[in-house]
Amino acid sequence: MAKQLITLTVNGDEHELAVAPYQTLLEVLRDELGLIGTKRGCTAGSCGVCTVNGEKGEAVLSCCALAVEWHGRSVTTVEGVQEGTELHPLQKMFLEHGAVQCGFCTPGLIMSAKALLDVNTSPTEQDINEAMAGAICRCTGHIKVKVAIREAAKLLRARELQTNEAAAGAAGVNNGAR
Amino acid sequence: MARAKEDLSVVGKNWARLDGADKVTGRSIFADDVRLPGMLYGKVVRSPHAHARILNIDISKAAAVPGVKAILTPEDGKDVWIGMNQPLLPPDGVVKYVGHEVVAIAATSERIAAKAAKLVEVEYEILPSLTDPREAIKEGAIQLHEKAKGNIGWELNLDQGDPDKVFAECDVIREDEFITNASHNCYAEYHVCVSDFSQAGKLVVWTPTQTAILFQKSIAAAFQMDESDVRLLTLNTGGGFTGRTSARPHHYLSALLSRKAGRPVRLRAAGDEEFIMCRAGGKVIYKLRSGASKDGKLKVIEADLLFDNGAYSESQMIVTTLTSKYLHALYPLEASRYRGRLAHTNHLPYYFHHGGGLAQMQFALGQHMDELAHELGMDSVEFGLRNGVEEGYTTPDGTTTYHSCGLKECIEKTAALAGWKDKYGKLPKYKGIGIGIGAMASGAKGLFKHDTSAAMIHVSTDGKASLFIGLPDMGQSSHTTMAIIAAEVLGISPTDIKVVSGDTDTDPFDVGAFTQRGTFNTGNATKSAALDARAQLSGRAASLLECAEDDLVWRDHQVYSRQNPDNKIPFRKVVDQTLNSTEGRFVMGRGYYNSPLEKGSMAYSFGAQIAEVTVDPNTGVVTVDKMTASHDVGRAINPRVVEGQIDGQIFSGMSQVLYEETIMEGGQVMNPSRLDYKMPRAYEMPEVEHIIVETIDPHGPFGAKEVGEGPIVCTMQAIANAVANALGTRIHEMPLSPWRVVKAVKTNK
Amino acid sequence: MQLPEFEYLRPKTLAEGLAALAEHGPDAQIMSGGSDLLINMKFRLDTPKFLVSFNDVAELKAVESLPDGGMSIGAGCTLTQLADSEALKEKYPALHAAVFSVGSKHVRNAATLGGNICLDTRCWYTNQSESWRETRDGCFKTDTELCHVIKGADKCHAINSSDSAPVLMVLGAVVVLASAQGEREVPMLEFYNNDGVDHTALKSSEFLARVVLPKPTGRSVYAKLAQRDGLDFASGTFAAGITGSNEQPESVCLVMGSVGPEPKVLHESAEIIMNQGLNDATIEAAALAARGSLGEVTNLFTPSGYKRRLVKALVKDALNELREQGN
Repeated sequence: MAKQLITLTVNGDEHELAVAPYQTLLEVLRDELGLIGTKRGCTAGSCGVCTVNGEKGEAVLSCCALAVEWHGRSVTTVEGVQEGTELHPLQKMFLEHGAVQCGFCTPGLIMSAKALLDVNTSPTEQDINEAMAGAICRCTGHIKVKVAIREAAKLLRARELQTNEAAAGAAGVNNGAR
Repeated sequence: MARAKEDLSVVGKNWARLDGADKVTGRSIFADDVRLPGMLYGKVVRSPHAHARILNIDISKAAAVPGVKAILTPEDGKDVWIGMNQPLLPPDGVVKYVGHEVVAIAATSERIAAKAAKLVEVEYEILPSLTDPREAIKEGAIQLHEKAKGNIGWELNLDQGDPDKVFAECDVIREDEFITNASHNCYAEYHVCVSDFSQAGKLVVWTPTQTAILFQKSIAAAFQMDESDVRLLTLNTGGGFTGRTSARPHHYLSALLSRKAGRPVRLRAAGDEEFIMCRAGGKVIYKLRSGASKDGKLKVIEADLLFDNGAYSESQMIVTTLTSKYLHALYPLEASRYRGRLAHTNHLPYYFHHGGGLAQMQFALGQHMDELAHELGMDSVEFGLRNGVEEGYTTPDGTTTYHSCGLKECIEKTAALAGWKDKYGKLPKYKGIGIGIGAMASGAKGLFKHDTSAAMIHVSTDGKASLFIGLPDMGQSSHTTMAIIAAEVLGISPTDIKVVSGDTDTDPFDVGAFTQRGTFNTGNATKSAALDARAQLSGRAASLLECAEDDLVWRDHQVYSRQNPDNKIPFRKVVDQTLNSTEGRFVMGRGYYNSPLEKGSMAYSFGAQIAEVTVDPNTGVVTVDKMTASHDVGRAINPRVVEGQIDGQIFSGMSQVLYEETIMEGGQVMNPSRLDYKMPRAYEMPEVEHIIVETIDPHGPFGAKEVGEGPIVCTMQAIANAVANALGTRIHEMPLSPWRVVKAVKTNK
Repeated sequence: MQLPEFEYLRPKTLAEGLAALAEHGPDAQIMSGGSDLLINMKFRLDTPKFLVSFNDVAELKAVESLPDGGMSIGAGCTLTQLADSEALKEKYPALHAAVFSVGSKHVRNAATLGGNICLDTRCWYTNQSESWRETRDGCFKTDTELCHVIKGADKCHAINSSDSAPVLMVLGAVVVLASAQGEREVPMLEFYNNDGVDHTALKSSEFLARVVLPKPTGRSVYAKLAQRDGLDFASGTFAAGITGSNEQPESVCLVMGSVGPEPKVLHESAEIIMNQGLNDATIEAAALAARGSLGEVTNLFTPSGYKRRLVKALVKDALNELREQGN
């Protein structure tokens, strides 16, 4: 059966790929694009290790997503999270708070947490549990992972505040209102 | 005896793991990420039956599939042995467990390999099977191995002192029986092996492992090669939990396929295969009997353990050695009796789950002691303080002395922080509190022929260093810990050190990351190597500072004399001057550590954990509200990592005692998935309070001892005791699944 | 595990999709979120020649308030979309709770309401890989007249595991089934069959297009028990709806889910409450009756004895909550 040509934007880069309908997004990312940061786990949607972010930043189980369904769309993988040469606050806090042990589940955890913090920088305990329940972590027992997420949320809130203040300041200057 | 805790510069501070940036950005490479030109993909055809005779194997249709490059049948595996009595593929034509490897295929894609595997036709004659160790040892049961009479693959009987005499002297004697069920290590990284045997006589293997050396040895032996011709690359290991301590069929199969095809081969567990390819724990039945005097002194323990060994023996004997010794780990006894039997069944060859068989035994022994304490009119905190070991204790077989022991300190501190006195016996119905205490050896001499850990350190003119070790990092941050130790000696920062490890071509010898030997053994080796490197610099430093070599202080990237601390020279200058002098050679330190004992351990870690739980009597759901955990780690080289270890083991212990069970039916795992094999996730985790106790062991590097498996020994029993406290009745089978809890509630009414 | 081979069709309109389903008949299966289907395909329980994806059909993702005060929900709405809907939460809180309780957030981002309603029944003898299943003979699900769970059974006992089903039944929802021939409506209370294989009213080539909810009346409650929150299929679910007061109910509907091949409407328990109101005694009696009405319970995933006990607890707790709402 013929492969289909799809365009897929990954971490801001547009790719044209010939894929079979039965290839999952995970297989395409790893095997066609060489992006091995997203790991292969249970391949049945229950461990979360393969999590990437969709266009709305939502958590996507890439092992249970057909690549052809993502034609013309965009995804972000763990390779696209850092900001230039700086680590994203989530990555920084994972490191600083001991939330990384063997590291195999780490990309999946980071993408699951990022899906949450991208839309909510003041998550409750319930919000964090809800966002992370689909992702396994066998080494940390999730404990320091949740600490890291809370700390990253703090950093992101502070950043938001700075951005808002800067914007307000700029607006004030522009208005010339004194 | 309080030992001085010196003021150290980098040891004892929180350090982020040195390879962490790679892990959070997805740059870390694991075996499944390895891409080699021309690589083929393997697929194993497995027995669907627990016990059967192979009547015929027809691979003709499979061989005809385009893209299939090699097929192995039992004939191909006949010279490869992966255990005392376990051949790689069954040459005698008898499969002995569901999932038993029969044929292996390598093809140009996973899809083609799977397609070909489906076309392999195997005819079986189903034979009766044994699926419970108690059935297996009964008179008249079918015999699975000629040499194992009564299906007992191994038996250890060990008496210390005269147990019968001591029992006769006891005022209180108690008997209990417990069961722990089969389980699976369940790491995030599925089993995988990439082998490149395309060059005759040279094999390169990429695989996650806890011990590159032992894998190298067994693979080399299997292929009758020199060890040095087998190169093992362990880039990153996605969790070990005692499940990656020996080479398994997939390691040998991927190598054999590669040799036959002349191309690299990747063989990975797909889906439920993960539950077959592993070394997990089997069912264990514990019969315990203990005696004490009425004033609360424990005098004697008798333990009879029956293990489901699975179909073949490999190194499971170790678990009888460990569990027999453990009777004497926590309490000075006048006598003991141990019988441990490994029974063959038609299950996969078991080993043990996270906890080394000891955490699981403590589920039984810790509850048994809890009951004994009650019969003596004490609570378990009192019982632990009354009977627990102290520094200076020597085991009755004379092999081990506790040169540091913080057990009682742990019990006291944990009880105080958890508010034991205000809660025990005072909680409302269905709320409970329980304690579990434990000890764990830091390495165990006598288990391996060659027990050395070695290290090398190479220092450059810029004052930075490369540290070569053979200890894998499977997440426990061992590499960073070693860097901290070396940095402390040299007076630099761990971030100045690159840890080079994971390639048997360059790794110094190290048995690996199990029996909890990393911090103690490799740590001492690392310290020794760093001291050696420093000694190569001392002469130059002393002459520059005009002082004696003994007066030198190495700290904060400076070197100075104790008598004249203001006159500092930068460390890199000392190195630079040493290397660039006219007779400059190199600064390369080497060191090793091999425990001076013949048997036993140089140091034990100790801990106490208190669990607070709420039980819903209608649904049987146990919520762990809080864990208060203390652990005597000698010295915390990296406190946050110690906390992380406690956290991870609380998770693992809680998971095993409340959730984990490979539900078996007819020898088959009914729940071989991350969905149906339950482990708690974010919602279920309790609040954890950590207390790090430091007794500064005289023999550990900077006083450090293990923390890699000590905490989990405390967890399961603490939670089980808390549940018993909440319900007023005790559950004797692990896991305490909701249906077992509900049954206990019903029976107790 | 990899997917089997198939051809992929992506119609732009509902009509196009229905035509494709009609053309290919049993060779085609519907792809919405794929969170259940794709896994079953990896297990080779489903091996359609054609996968028809309706994800380009915008109308299937619409949520509309209806002039009669009810609501129409497109079957293609993701569960996250519905969980985030303030309108749904306000109007139909029990349905919102049910939708929110499905799987994990990751799963809900892809899973759809239509997919959840039509969720295939589950059994641990069949929801396994192809090679795993070779250990035993086939069963009703794989075209052999055999059941591994209940020996001698004359039909499949796989469990209906839809979390939304009990609530939709209690709320009196109606599903609109579309085909190339037109549309028909089926009340949710009539949608399921007591058969693990042929478990819904969906005919071949039919597509569940939307769910129509009547104007909300009275109070309703939903409860789910699973071993782990935010991830697992239920050990049991329960939905209850009542109009009128606790003392004088006008209508009562109670449905138990995840205990058998179809969600079980608890007629006896409902009658007790209708006749005597909602109070301590009737709640106890209704819970006991619920347990009694279970009939043959399988030991899939949890022992049957436990399930029976669970039913009583679940019903009791939920009915108490329902009563609280009316106070």
